[in-house]
Amino acid sequence: MSTSFPSLFPGMLLDAASRYAEDHIAVEIQGDPVRELGWTATLVPEEAGGVGGSLSDLASIVEGLATHGLQLPVVETCAVVPLLLQAAGAETARRWLEAVAEGSVQMAPLTALSATPDVNAVTARHLDIGYELNGAVHGVDATLPATHYLVPAQVDGEDAIFLVDADRVGGPRARYRTMEGRLGADFVLAQLAVPESACIARGAAARDARGKATDAALLLTAADTVAALATLIRQSVTHLKERRQFGVALSSFQVLRHRVADMYVKYLGAKGLVIHCFNAHEQGAPDLRRTLRLAKVSLAESARACAEAAIQMHGGMGVSEEVLATRMAQRLIASEFRYGDRLLHVARLLAPEACAPQVSLSNQTGSVR
Amino acid sequence: MSIDYAGFRRELESFVRSACPPEIRAVVAAGQKITKREYQAWQQILNARGWGAPSWPREAGGTGWDIRQRLIFEEVMAENDCPPLYHHGLGHIGPVIIHFGTPEQKARFLPRILDGSDWWCQGYSEPGSGSDLASLSTTARLDGDEWIVNGQKIWTSHAHEASMIYMLVRTSKEAKKQEGISLLLVPMDTPGITVRPIKTIDGWHHLNEVFFDEVRVRADNLVGEVGKGWTCAKFLLERERLPPANVARLELMRRQVTQLVEEASRATAGLRDFSGLHHKLLLCEADVKGARVMMAQATDDLIHQRPLGVQPSVIKMTCADVAQRLTTIALDAVGPEAAHRFLAEVGDDVPDATWIQNYMFTRARTIAGGTSEVQRNVVANELLGA
Repeated sequence: MSTSFPSLFPGMLLDAASRYAEDHIAVEIQGDPVRELGWTATLVPEEAGGVGGSLSDLASIVEGLATHGLQLPVVETCAVVPLLLQAAGAETARRWLEAVAEGSVQMAPLTALSATPDVNAVTARHLDIGYELNGAVHGVDATLPATHYLVPAQVDGEDAIFLVDADRVGGPRARYRTMEGRLGADFVLAQLAVPESACIARGAAARDARGKATDAALLLTAADTVAALATLIRQSVTHLKERRQFGVALSSFQVLRHRVADMYVKYLGAKGLVIHCFNAHEQGAPDLRRTLRLAKVSLAESARACAEAAIQMHGGMGVSEEVLATRMAQRLIASEFRYGDRLLHVARLLAPEACAPQVSLSNQTGSVR
Repeated sequence: MSIDYAGFRRELESFVRSACPPEIRAVVAAGQKITKREYQAWQQILNARGWGAPSWPREAGGTGWDIRQRLIFEEVMAENDCPPLYHHGLGHIGPVIIHFGTPEQKARFLPRILDGSDWWCQGYSEPGSGSDLASLSTTARLDGDEWIVNGQKIWTSHAHEASMIYMLVRTSKEAKKQEGISLLLVPMDTPGITVRPIKTIDGWHHLNEVFFDEVRVRADNLVGEVGKGWTCAKFLLERERLPPANVARLELMRRQVTQLVEEASRATAGLRDFSGLHHKLLLCEADVKGARVMMAQATDDLIHQRPLGVQPSVIKMTCADVAQRLTTIALDAVGPEAAHRFLAEVGDDVPDATWIQNYMFTRARTIAGGTSEVQRNVVANELLGA
């Protein structure tokens, strides 16, 4: 059966992430493994002390974690953060990218998990000295501690990115556990005063970086979904073979066999689609965003169907969070609502302006350059 | 020597655009039923150019193209509304003859497939043997240097317009039902053969019953070894499930249905809600992109001679599913206008009604060439064990 689920992004990074996830799945997260393992350096260019890797490299890490069901904000801290930082002026960008790569700061985006980084939840007003930030950001990932936040905002009708000390932002209004087992928090910025230098990018540079961060988040979440689907189906197969009722293995019932076969067909289709998305990204396809939205809508459909089927096939065990397949089902459904849900993406796909291909400025490998 | 694939694509494009007759392209573009007339005319044009058999090796009269070139060929053909290649000769029995046939059989049958003078049909299913093909009971017994065939085949596409049939017959009764089956090539004008049309749900005539009553066939029309026909049949079915044409044609169908929905939505603006259909079209578009990568990966496995595993089954199920969903969208789009004009009593058919016929026709996609239930068994056996 192992040959039926070949890895999407094989290699040493996948093996390392996979091993780490396997060893730590049963224990509470201690410290800041994402920085300790050096993953924040993946997308940071070599000249800023990083690895200069590609989005496919980061996808290996995402795949390894998803395969074993471990929740770590890799997309947020290792993709969105460095991609937003690149909008800053060369000197500022290099300094902060270096700090991110070596883990001397814990930087996180102050964005809702449900929204793409190109959405403005915060408005900035230019004061005589510095800026004032206002806005509510609900459902920010708070799994790991943060020393700095990157805040996408709108200022004078322009896109901008602010870099703010976590101390200045203050604590969240409320904390939650997300449905897939992350920590989430609601933040409210009310007349938050920040210095002039907090605005690290404005205009086209900010818009472009937020667009790239959006593409990366959509791509990596799609990779997470395919990896989680593989584990979900694998677990279901094992369950059907081992669980006996009426004196026979569940795997002897054709209705269940066919249900698994249907899940597998959906999985291979989803995998093909995600490979298509990574290819489109690598080639700088002009309709990349449209393709990513399509994938979002299609993967949500497949993931939901497979998640529900797996829960059903596990019977009573299917409703217990102690079962890996069940946690995978939660992860799959939660991922539908990360970075825009299907209804949002359908709306954008069917909007009249969606017909014109966008000009994409993303580079070949997706690393920050 | 490395192949210039981009240059190859350009060469194909310029040829098909100038060489494929507009009236044939119009039939394909409108999603109408493609008949022997269009298939044959296009086959002759391609053959004259030396491209009569893209999937055959050069020594058999083929192009000798690699699999990537064949994929490009299928895409260019579909993008430019050219008819697909007629599968029974070029895709099915041709490769079997190339692989299992004698030099004499190759010389006798292959050139006539290439130039379109022979038109083949497939005698597999029988009234009592559908999914369980190996239980077939049509017999052939040797009498001197002739086989004498008795029995009945059913669901035989194109039998009414074919000049040849390749058929599975039982040449001896063995303990295991897969053994004792042989593959026989039979001219359709042989005395004792009767073809009876079957009227199908799409209103077209393509299926038939074929009856064999003491039909005498040359002994050297048997392909491969006597009693080993199942090996040929399996070789053929594997190829039947993985034709590069399937995925390329899906994209053509998606474009056609998208246009149809847009036209219908303009024509009945405000009266009917098309948002559900648009949503379904998006899902089909995503699935076609996924299927294309699946096909490319299976293609790569073929090139590197890695086992295909369940990929042919998965690709067949996916293509069948998307084709059915697309024609269902088309049915919903044109239903009110076309359902009462299914078949015109006089004159040409109503263009929109073609899509209702296509909807009915694509029901067969999950039945022919191994039902989706049989494919699910194949996949489940791989995952869960038999």
